[in-house]
Amino acid sequence: MLWASSVLASPGTSIVIGSKNFLENRLLAEMFAQLIESHTTLTVERRFGLAGTQICFQALTNGDIDLYPEYTGTGLVTILDEPAMQDPSAVLNHVRSEFRKQWNLWWLAPLGFDNSFALALRRDRAKALNIRTITDLVGAAKNLRAAFGFEFIQRADGLRGLKNLYGLEFQDVVGMQQSLKYEAADKGDVDLLDVYTTDGRLAVYDFVVLEDDRRFFPPYDAAALVRGETLEQYPELSKILSLLTNALSPERMRELNFRIQEQGETIPQVAYDALRTLHLVKETQQTTATTTKESTSFFSYMWEQRTMLRVRTGEHLSLAGIGLLLGIALALPLAFILERWRGGAETMIRIIGMSQTIPSIALLAFMIPLFGVGALPAIMALWIYSLYPILRNTFSGLRDAAPSVVETGRALGMTEWQILRSVRLPLAAPTIMAGIRTSAIWTIGTATLAAFIGAGGLGVPIVSGLQLADVRVILSGALPVTILALVVDGLLGSIERFVRPRGLEVSR
Amino acid sequence: MTNTCELEVQHLSVRFPDGTYALQEIDWEVHQSETMAIIGESGSGKTTLLRLLNRLAEPSSGHVFIQGHPAIDQDPIALRRRLGYVPQDGGLFPHWTIRHNVCLVPQLLEWSTEQQHDRFTTLLPLVNLDPTVIADRFPIELSGGQRQRVAIARAIAADPPIVLLDEPFSALDPLTRHELHEQFLILKTQLHKTMVLITHDITEAFRLGDRITVLKDGRIHQIGTPQELLTSPATPYVASLIEHHSGLQQ
Repeated sequence: MLWASSVLASPGTSIVIGSKNFLENRLLAEMFAQLIESHTTLTVERRFGLAGTQICFQALTNGDIDLYPEYTGTGLVTILDEPAMQDPSAVLNHVRSEFRKQWNLWWLAPLGFDNSFALALRRDRAKALNIRTITDLVGAAKNLRAAFGFEFIQRADGLRGLKNLYGLEFQDVVGMQQSLKYEAADKGDVDLLDVYTTDGRLAVYDFVVLEDDRRFFPPYDAAALVRGETLEQYPELSKILSLLTNALSPERMRELNFRIQEQGETIPQVAYDALRTLHLVKETQQTTATTTKESTSFFSYMWEQRTMLRVRTGEHLSLAGIGLLLGIALALPLAFILERWRGGAETMIRIIGMSQTIPSIALLAFMIPLFGVGALPAIMALWIYSLYPILRNTFSGLRDAAPSVVETGRALGMTEWQILRSVRLPLAAPTIMAGIRTSAIWTIGTATLAAFIGAGGLGVPIVSGLQLADVRVILSGALPVTILALVVDGLLGSIERFVRPRGLEVSR
Repeated sequence: MTNTCELEVQHLSVRFPDGTYALQEIDWEVHQSETMAIIGESGSGKTTLLRLLNRLAEPSSGHVFIQGHPAIDQDPIALRRRLGYVPQDGGLFPHWTIRHNVCLVPQLLEWSTEQQHDRFTTLLPLVNLDPTVIADRFPIELSGGQRQRVAIARAIAADPPIVLLDEPFSALDPLTRHELHEQFLILKTQLHKTMVLITHDITEAFRLGDRITVLKDGRIHQIGTPQELLTSPATPYVASLIEHHSGLQQ
């Protein structure tokens, strides 16, 4: 099964590398992956683009992934929930001993650059207001509009702590995806944004990076964070990954990021190039990746990506299909039971209806502590989502099926079971199918979010496209989802016509 | 409990949860091969009385006897299969063919397919329908009058001794109703069934009923033949019913 091999982790001689859902983290993860592939016979499974630190970290502690690139400051403030410290080696030593003690997780030697948060202001605004440092910003802040990343807004080492220390109060703060913030600021829709200091776009856009004069942000030295069990199982890993110790300067990192963000090179290509320059991979190794940005039309891009799209479509169909089938398997019998015991029916259906109001991404996140990351939590979430339309339609269809006909059946001596089977069910069939159709479309749409928890599917190109701010990449995922939804809707529509009993409309 | 008494109701009351009565202290009987018309306004309790007979409703107090046996001692499903039933709107299953509809009770009683087909073929001419033309049609393809004929055929398909009819002709246009009345009278003389016919149309009651029960507000005002009702109405209500239909005097 295509899906089983690509979505479920296979134990044994394979190692699973995760990453967060921003470019630099993906690039580092890809470099780890290529490095391991070129120095060992291990199979590397890439589970990139997990939505945020918490999901990544949870996946690591669950054992869903073996390692991912993390930053020491994030480990200290976000994961350990401790106050910021300024000395880089003190931070490293502290997270090393705490992570080992609490979770048997190991920080390998830092890669050589600190990717800190920083605030950046449009140069014209900075000049006009004469702002160089964050302290300078305090007076002017209430006239400024800020766009920050969603995680930055929530983190203790982000906006919350920053406001406390400096006493900042902005006119308006909006949450925005990393790649969109730059354009918004460039166009003048917002004045201020949070940036990663190694972001390649800082070289392109005309922003002033404000000095953190009260040293609020801790050091964020990038390093591989690995499970102790993985290092025991594959002792060679720590030596191989240590080849990257101090190998990447901040300037070098900014340049690599820039090539992906602005010059349209692919992550595997840039990762390979960086490793080759460091003489860490053999020259002969080929990468199939090509420059993507602006070089080809949308349809030739789709054609180039056909293998990937086929795999993603397969994953997508499996996720949505299994979720829907499980939904049918639970909702149909439940509706039959509730139709018999009407007393609790409305309450029960309403409770299940409430699950629909949980935002999809939140529901996915709730599943992670229970099921880890990957296909399982995604299927569970899709299952919960698929229940309501099927349950509601089946229940109403059975309950409201031609009441006078049902009463006649009863008066002529049909048992309740016979009435259900030969009267209510056939008469409700079109309504039930309509519920399944609604669920199917809904599930196919929602399955795009599975990409955020490493379950694959057509959400993967959509999410990476968002990070690259590349409409073609987004469309390469979005278009197949739409087509899939239309095709499935059409198929279910034919089934609906097929199950509609003859005699419900004049047929001749 | 004589053996000519097919249906009997003694000291029967049906009380609603709010304490009011659907039927109050009813004593009532129907003889074998007799057609008993029940006439009353909506809310008079006439449908409740019918539902007590096939145990779709249960009395709050009192007794119901079917062919001399207490209804309460009989399995409701088996009982209903011995009582034919025709509802107001026909109540045909829209997704079943006419043959399927008519053969419902024989099928429930597990007759062989051959027996069912034979029955269908002999039964339909009795209600003036052509079995070959109509067998595989669906109810929606029939006229209102035809549907009601099918409903009557279905009610008597398994040859039940008793047939209950709940305003079977009230939704039809006058001409069709007249035709079906004629048909009903022919069937009556041919089949000798015991029948209970609910109606709110005094003309229909006089025309089809051997005896008539007048119900109002859950109480019986009079039980008698059309002649008895005409000549000696028991209450002012019965008298006013007759008066409003002075065309009844033949």
